Amino acid sequence: MSADNLSSPLARAVAGPPLLLALLLGGCGPHAASPSAAKGPAPPPAVSYESHVAAGGLTPPGGELRNPHAGDKAVAASGALLFTAMNCDGCHGAGAAGAVGPNLGDGRWRYGGADPEVFSSIFYGRPKGMPGFGGALGADGVWTLVTYIRSLAPPDNLPTESFEKQ
Amino acid sequence: MRMIAACLSAAVLTLPVAGFAAGAAAEDGQWTMPARDYAATRFSPLTQINAVNAPGLHPVWSFSTGVLAGHEGQPLVVGDTMYVVTPWPNVLYAFDLSKEGYPLRWKYRPDVSANAIGVSCCDTINRGAFYADGKIIYNLLDGHTVAVDAKSGRELWNTQVADVANGETVTIAPLVVKDRVIIGAAGGEFGIYGWVKALDLASGKVVWTAHNIGPDADMLIRPADFHPPYEGASDSGVSGWPPDGWRTGGAPVWGWMSYDPELDLLFYGTGNAAPYNADQRPGDNKWTSSVLARRPADGTLVWAYQFTPHDSWDFDATGAMVLAELNIGGKPVKALVHFDKNGFAYTLERATGKLLVAEPYVKVNWAKSVDLKTGRPLIDPDKLTGASRGNVKDICPCLEGGVSPASPPAYSPHTHLFYSSTNNLCMDYASKRTSYLKGTPFMGIENPYHPGPGGYLGTFMAWDAATGRKVWENHEPFPNWSGALVTAGDVAFYGTLDGWFKSVDARTGKVLSKFKVGSGVVGNPMTYRGPDGKQYVAVYAGIGGDWLLLAGDYRSDDPADVRAPADYVPELARHTSQGGIIWIFGL
Repeated sequence: MSADNLSSPLARAVAGPPLLLALLLGGCGPHAASPSAAKGPAPPPAVSYESHVAAGGLTPPGGELRNPHAGDKAVAASGALLFTAMNCDGCHGAGAAGAVGPNLGDGRWRYGGADPEVFSSIFYGRPKGMPGFGGALGADGVWTLVTYIRSLAPPDNLPTESFEKQ
Repeated sequence: MRMIAACLSAAVLTLPVAGFAAGAAAEDGQWTMPARDYAATRFSPLTQINAVNAPGLHPVWSFSTGVLAGHEGQPLVVGDTMYVVTPWPNVLYAFDLSKEGYPLRWKYRPDVSANAIGVSCCDTINRGAFYADGKIIYNLLDGHTVAVDAKSGRELWNTQVADVANGETVTIAPLVVKDRVIIGAAGGEFGIYGWVKALDLASGKVVWTAHNIGPDADMLIRPADFHPPYEGASDSGVSGWPPDGWRTGGAPVWGWMSYDPELDLLFYGTGNAAPYNADQRPGDNKWTSSVLARRPADGTLVWAYQFTPHDSWDFDATGAMVLAELNIGGKPVKALVHFDKNGFAYTLERATGKLLVAEPYVKVNWAKSVDLKTGRPLIDPDKLTGASRGNVKDICPCLEGGVSPASPPAYSPHTHLFYSSTNNLCMDYASKRTSYLKGTPFMGIENPYHPGPGGYLGTFMAWDAATGRKVWENHEPFPNWSGALVTAGDVAFYGTLDGWFKSVDARTGKVLSKFKVGSGVVGNPMTYRGPDGKQYVAVYAGIGGDWLLLAGDYRSDDPADVRAPADYVPELARHTSQGGIIWIFGL
């Protein structure tokens, strides 16, 4: 991954105090450690407010983060390999079906399941120990993972688990 | 208190003097350390509850901990107070057993980093506390050891011992020997450089750190004092690894420790080698999957024996090392007995580490036997794993172990038998190349489980460690994950994953009582004499811990995390959901 990966999609993102927000979002991960860390200014945070409750009913002004690979099956397949290579499966299980970390294929999300929200979770990390991978992967690597995760189809009839023979 | 003293002397008079292990604890009705005694027997000399009256056992009290993770470990009872440590966030409760309803004297709520949750391979569990010198001492998940005043609940010291950013968490219960607090770190799935440390009991300062792999200097091997029974050239913790492989080689310590005061030896087992892909670490990988014997004062390694050289199956040896005086072939032997994850039960001579008995206690097919002369397993080469070997099918037992090291056995000097949970599971094992990324899992594995033969998934068994034979076993529909307790009343106790707490006749296994405790049991039963002079038995309910127990949709706390039932335990979620509850049973 190179610094080029940080170009277009993030240029459209909201302006904000990136370092502070990165810390607030709980990065315990390899921000600074990786030799492949993206160079240049850190990208501004991507926060989608759709799944939040806005005070006073007004949403704060925000920009947009767009997945350059949305729906691309070949990129999703690369993302599946990256999911293993970056040890994501060590926590989230084979096929992202859940182990120590949550199932990512059940269509349900702690921190939002839209592309920009999943991007933020991976790029910056989350406070219960999800490391931030933005430094190690760069933006395009994270989008590749987002594309894979969003390609996982949630099962039908998820809320009900029946134990009796129907 | 007078009544207790009277009961105590009466009980002492009726006790057999012979047959107690070195490190046995006095019969004072208390339970002040994880396994009750230094020998790690989980045997109580109390006799009020016996095989005749045990059918009358019933719950007398319960308390929700408010925590949903796996409740491993056991309460302590010191004087008239019961101490309970919860899983993360590691709250310490002190219950006043002298008052009706056992109200709290205090609770201690440390600030434990949530970041530790993400580097806990196997749920946010805690294996309990140790009482010494007026202090309750235990470990916090985020790598701190704390000492709390047992009377006031005030924090006396708090020492950072491990680094979450390196994948280290601390789940083990400490063992205090004289003025040393011995602890270890988990993180075999994160490529840690495994260690044990000794802290000063008074100040909490780290006195020594001994690594379990690596150069002799790091391992506190002083060549003149190191006498392994079989192998162990100088720098054996380096030579059995690829260059620098030991630096991220695992060997965590998260199980149960024991101590022989006569030999002045501390015993503990080390966990798996990292990564799981064995191709990346040719060699024996000493001293992973081993038992180590050290001097507690300065950490000097005295002997070590490796149960599973070049661990290719995640066979941690972190299960308890129980010290017992056995009669083997007509001779009294100071033995160390260990039920390994790899499916063999080992009986060693504990002064030297020499192997006396090694027999399978569950279905084992990765090795045919263990050579008593060389100490090495005779491995079936078809069951060796590694990325170059593809998907290796049907290995028994599975990596959860013939028994989980989290589920310690008990030993009765009355029946001369060991009591242990077991799992009847096998696995496929597909390794792949993996890279070390600090703070992420260092594994490289996909390995589905399947049931072993026989139509049951777990047992509770009685084992004769002198001969290496099973005496009886009770089949259970699910893997069995609780620790064992046995008493001088010849009653043994255990819990099941589907939420039953059972008492059984220690000589036959006949079930004497059972009660559904609200959640699967992965904790360890303990017993004590209350301030009213009566014997009670306590146990935690609260399923969780380890991968198997994270499978399946019995997690109801997170609406954003729905799991499919695991195909090897499809029905488990029918019988249990999460929830931590402390139960006390009495007659």
